Amino acid sequence: MTSATAAEPVPAIRLRRLTKRFGALTAVDDVSLDIHRGEVVALLGPNGAGKSTTIDLSLGLSAASSGSAELFGVAPRGAIVAGDVGAMLQGGALLPTMTVQQSVALVAAAHRHPLPVTEAMGRARVSDIANQPVSKLSGGQLQRARFAVAVVSDPRLLILDEPTAAMDVEARHVFWDSMREFTDSGRTVVFATHYLDEADAFADRIVMMSRGRIVADGTPAQVKSVVSGRTVSFRLDDVAAGQNGTEARFAAMPGVTGVEVRGERASIRTDDSDATLRAVLADFPAARDIEVIARSMDDAFMALTSEAAAPSSLTSEEAHR
Amino acid sequence: MRPHYLARETMRQLRNVRSLVFTFALPVAMLLIFGSAYGTGGAVDSTTHLPWLIVTTVQMGGYGAMMAGLSQAFAIVTERSIGWNRQLRITPLSGTGYLVSKVVAALAVAAGSILVVFAVSILALHAQLAVAGWIAAGIGLWLGIIPFALLAILIGQYARPEFAQPLFMVTFLGMSILGGLWVPLQIMPAWVSNVAQIVPSYWLNRLGQMGALGSGDAMAPALVLVGWTVVLTVLVTWRYRRDAVRA
Repeated sequence: MTSATAAEPVPAIRLRRLTKRFGALTAVDDVSLDIHRGEVVALLGPNGAGKSTTIDLSLGLSAASSGSAELFGVAPRGAIVAGDVGAMLQGGALLPTMTVQQSVALVAAAHRHPLPVTEAMGRARVSDIANQPVSKLSGGQLQRARFAVAVVSDPRLLILDEPTAAMDVEARHVFWDSMREFTDSGRTVVFATHYLDEADAFADRIVMMSRGRIVADGTPAQVKSVVSGRTVSFRLDDVAAGQNGTEARFAAMPGVTGVEVRGERASIRTDDSDATLRAVLADFPAARDIEVIARSMDDAFMALTSEAAAPSSLTSEEAHR
Repeated sequence: MRPHYLARETMRQLRNVRSLVFTFALPVAMLLIFGSAYGTGGAVDSTTHLPWLIVTTVQMGGYGAMMAGLSQAFAIVTERSIGWNRQLRITPLSGTGYLVSKVVAALAVAAGSILVVFAVSILALHAQLAVAGWIAAGIGLWLGIIPFALLAILIGQYARPEFAQPLFMVTFLGMSILGGLWVPLQIMPAWVSNVAQIVPSYWLNRLGQMGALGSGDAMAPALVLVGWTVVLTVLVTWRYRRDAVRA
C-alpha cells in the first residue's frame, strides 16, 4: 500500500473538494483536508456543522455530490475491506439482546484478520462487562463497548463521531485513557466533538467546521487563541452614550477586536480583557453593570464563519498552502 | 463470505426468543394438538393419499420453516432502525453478504425447526413413514423456504419500523392460513384451494406432501417456488442497488 518512491507516505485521509448537498442544504461545502498518519485530529464544530456528514463521506457510507475521499490512497471501501479502518458512528449501535462479548465476536467474525476478542475488550476496558447484555449498559459502558467493536479489526485509522457523548466525567477519563494507549502505538485518530476542552486535551491538531466548511485548522493553541476571546460589556452614562466618538475611543483600547454600542450599553470584544477593562475604567469612570463574559464556542464559530469570507490568520486555505 | 460470521449470525438467531416461539414452540404445539385430534387413527386423506398425521406434520414443518424465513424481515428492520447495519458497513461484509447471511441463517433455523417437528411427530405421535419419505419431505420444505427468506428481505428493505409489525402479521397470517399450513385446505371448499395457489406457501406445503408420498409431479411446486425465488431476487437486488446509489 505504501509507495516506495514517494517521499511522503500517502495520508491516512485525503479529502478533495468534497461537497454534499441534501436538496437546498449544502451539508459539506468544498472541503479539502489531508490527515497524516499518526495524527490525532479533533473535528470541532457545533451541531449541524457538517462533521458527521464529512465522516460518512470519508468512509464512503454516503456518496458525495462532488469531490473525492481516499483512505490510505485508496477508495474508502477498499481500506475498510482491508481492515485498516475502525469507526464509532452517530446512529450506529449494537444489538440490545446481545452481550458485549457476542457483539465484539460477531463483528470480529466479519473481519479478515481480527484481534482476539478478549484483547479488543481489554483495550476498550470492557472485560468486566463482557457478559452483560447491551441493553443493560450505561451510556459510558455502551460507548466503550462500541469502542471495542471499532478496534477489533486492529485498524490503522480510527474515526470516532462524538465518542464521549452520554458519558460522565469518570467515564470520559477511562475512555481517553484507553484511547491514548491506542494512539501511542502511532495510529491515526479522528474524532468529532463539540467540546473545545476535549479537543484541546487530546488532539494534536484541531480542524474546526462551521456550516459545512473548514473555518480553522491548526494546533490546539492556535485554535484556542481564536476561540478564547472575551466580551467586556457595561452601561455608559447618557453623555458618553450620546457622543459620536465613543466607539472609536473603545476601538483604540488595548486588546480590542470589536465594538458595539447599542443605546447606553457597550459591548467590546477583546483578546485581553484585563487591559481593556482597565482602560475603560480609566477613561469612563462612570461605567457600571460591568460584565466580562468568555466568548462561547458558538460566538467563535459565528465569528470564524463571517471571517472565513475574508482571509483570517488561520483559515483552512492557508493551512494547506 | 465468512463462514465464521455466518455461524455466529445463525447462533444469534437460534438464541432469539422470537425464533424459539414462532419457529419451534408454535409448530410443535399445533402438531401435538391437531396431530392427536385427527391424526392418530391412521386415517388416510383422500386428496394427498397421505395419513392425516403425516399431512399435519408436513404442514407444521412447513409452517415453522416458513417462519424461519419470514422472521428475517424482523431481523432486518430491527437492525436497520437500531443502526447495526451502519456498524456492519465498517466491516468487509458486503451488502450482498449481509443479505446472503440472512438467507443462510433462515435455512439453518428452518432445518432445526423441521427436524424438531419431524422428531416430535415420530417420537411422541408415532408417525409412520419410510425414511426416504421423511428425507424427501424435509429437504423439499427446507429448500422451499428460500423465497420466503427473500420476501422477508424485501419487507425488511422497504418497511419502516412502525409498519413492519402489521406487514409481517398480514404476510405470515395470509401465508399460513391461505397456504393451508394451519388448517388443511382439503377440508375447506374447493374454491379456497384454487385461490390458495397464488401464495407460495401452498406450493411449499405441496412440495412437502409430494416428498412424503414419494410420488406426484414435484416439478410443479418446485417450478413455482423457483419462479418466486427468481422474481424476489430481482426485486431485492434492484432495491439494494437503488439504496446504494441513493446513499
